[in-house]
Amino acid sequence: MTALTLEVRNATKRFGDGDTSVVAVRDVSLAVKPGEVVLIMGPSGSGKTTLLSMMGALLKPTEGSIHLDGTEISALSEGRLPDIRLRQFGFVFQDFNLLTALSVLENVAIVAELAGAKRGLARDRAKKLLTELGLAERLDFLPEQLSGGEKQRVAIARALVNDPALILADEPTANLDSKIGHEIMRLLRAIAKDQGRSVVIVSHDQRIRDIADRVLWLEDGQFKDIVTMATDPVCGMAVERERAVIGERDGEAYWFCSRGCREEFISGLLPDVEAVSRGLP
Amino acid sequence: MSAALLLARRGLGRSRVRLIASVGGVALALSLTLALDAIYAGVANQLTAYIDRAGADVWVAQSGVRNLHMVASWLPATVTAEVEAIEGVAEATPILYSTDTIAAGDERSVAYVIGLPAGTTMGGPWQVVEGSAQVGRGEIIVDRGFAQKAGVTIGDSVGVLGSQALVVGLSAGTASLINSVAFISFDDFRALRGDAPVVSYVLVRVAPGASPAAVASRIGAGVPGVTAMSREAFSAEERRLVTDMSADVISIMNVVGFVVGLCVVALTVYVATLAHRREYGVLKALGARNGVLYRVVMVQAALSVALGFTVALLFTALLTVLVPRAGSNLELALGIASIAKVGLFATVIAGLASVLPIRQVAGVDPAVVFRRGVAA
Repeated sequence: MTALTLEVRNATKRFGDGDTSVVAVRDVSLAVKPGEVVLIMGPSGSGKTTLLSMMGALLKPTEGSIHLDGTEISALSEGRLPDIRLRQFGFVFQDFNLLTALSVLENVAIVAELAGAKRGLARDRAKKLLTELGLAERLDFLPEQLSGGEKQRVAIARALVNDPALILADEPTANLDSKIGHEIMRLLRAIAKDQGRSVVIVSHDQRIRDIADRVLWLEDGQFKDIVTMATDPVCGMAVERERAVIGERDGEAYWFCSRGCREEFISGLLPDVEAVSRGLP
Repeated sequence: MSAALLLARRGLGRSRVRLIASVGGVALALSLTLALDAIYAGVANQLTAYIDRAGADVWVAQSGVRNLHMVASWLPATVTAEVEAIEGVAEATPILYSTDTIAAGDERSVAYVIGLPAGTTMGGPWQVVEGSAQVGRGEIIVDRGFAQKAGVTIGDSVGVLGSQALVVGLSAGTASLINSVAFISFDDFRALRGDAPVVSYVLVRVAPGASPAAVASRIGAGVPGVTAMSREAFSAEERRLVTDMSADVISIMNVVGFVVGLCVVALTVYVATLAHRREYGVLKALGARNGVLYRVVMVQAALSVALGFTVALLFTALLTVLVPRAGSNLELALGIASIAKVGLFATVIAGLASVLPIRQVAGVDPAVVFRRGVAA
């Protein structure tokens, strides 16, 4: 996998013409860095999914452009997009969108096969991923025999099988209960942090804000107020930078949930900042 | 291809009802064509059975007569000696022939009535299952099937050529859907036809090593007023007559079978494509090219048709075994040419049936994956 930057430049998406036209996304700009988890939130009909579709090369902007590591993918012909979707993006959907006639293993392996992997290799790769995601006992199951959480883990394995640089997730917790939803979000964060992939999540689930590096609020097709998240290096709590207590050590800025944490950190009582960061819920 | 094959196979297997409807429809449509071909081939076999099994290498008939069915051939009785004199002829036997009905009680049946000289080694029944293989004056050998149907047995009498004859033998393999073959004595036949000094055909056995075609050619050149043909050529003419007579019916049934098969497969593949639109959208979103999805549709059509063709073939083969055992005079013959023709039909059906859904597949929007549907 090569780390890639995805950039949305002044993208507008308009559906229909004339008086009946609807602007779903209006002049939106955004850059997603490698290893970053970006959460796009907003009310229903705010344009979140349209924006995600454009970022995933499923939809072309009416105006503006989408760039993947400098290449303007929104200007590419339809014939070139399947390869980009297959190799650079991994998709995770609210409805899981697993192929009902295929087993768990086949659902994942087939995407590798589509990318040109030989059958045996594709199955091996799928098996390894599914095992890592705790589905070793479910390889031959059909999707209908799985729980919601298991289905979403299969979808995540499918999204990862071609080793993409970016994971685009559309309401990945919407069909899951709170506990499983949180597990899935931690998994997505781990994928970003441990494997250096960018993860863009569209959701209106407030409970998952704390796993994102950045939270964007989309309303009426525009970003209204950008909230940047940070992790308190002392207690590990996710905090909004704009509202957090800021502190500095060795010339670097840190954000804290409270003055107490800042004092503790500045005084040098915390030996391993990284370890605490990794221990985020 | 393997991904497309897997998707096509699983897609078909998942929708069993649709698969059964598709395969069943194709099988039914192709069975129509195969069975009809087999029936006509069987009838042709039966109609030429006498020519093929009479023991003659060459058939000599009145000039211009090139077969048995629905014709009259009359030659002067002296022609037998003229034929015997031709180089390469080992043996020549005259027979009298007419299409007539044989009757017993209320049962009447169309028959090729053959007048056989006493002691002849050609032209007689080739399989006698009961009684004598030779007929004398006032005697007749009839087909076993007719005897069973008419309730007659050895020693009973049947009506033939306006007279009565005593059944002395029962033959097998001498009945077809249309008629049977009955054998009476040459002298009876001639007497019942006014004692005219004529024969219908002269059956020729060629000398060892002689070519039947060459001998037939020499007879044609050396004996005036006759047409001489090798058994193969004579049989082929008879078969062609059946084919010509049935060509229109076969053509119509071929078209019906083809259209029904095409409609069934096209409809089921189209419906299956519509039903899987969302999954095709998912595959597109994941990066599958249209070509992969086209192949899925084509493989599904091909598999449906291949399965349907196999079922049709097995069904028709089963019919060829069961129908004769059911006591029917109907014989079904499944030929390679017919199988190849119907196989070609099946291939064309699969190809055409794939065309319509391809447009549907091309129009699938990959962004469909973001529309809320049934979770899977």
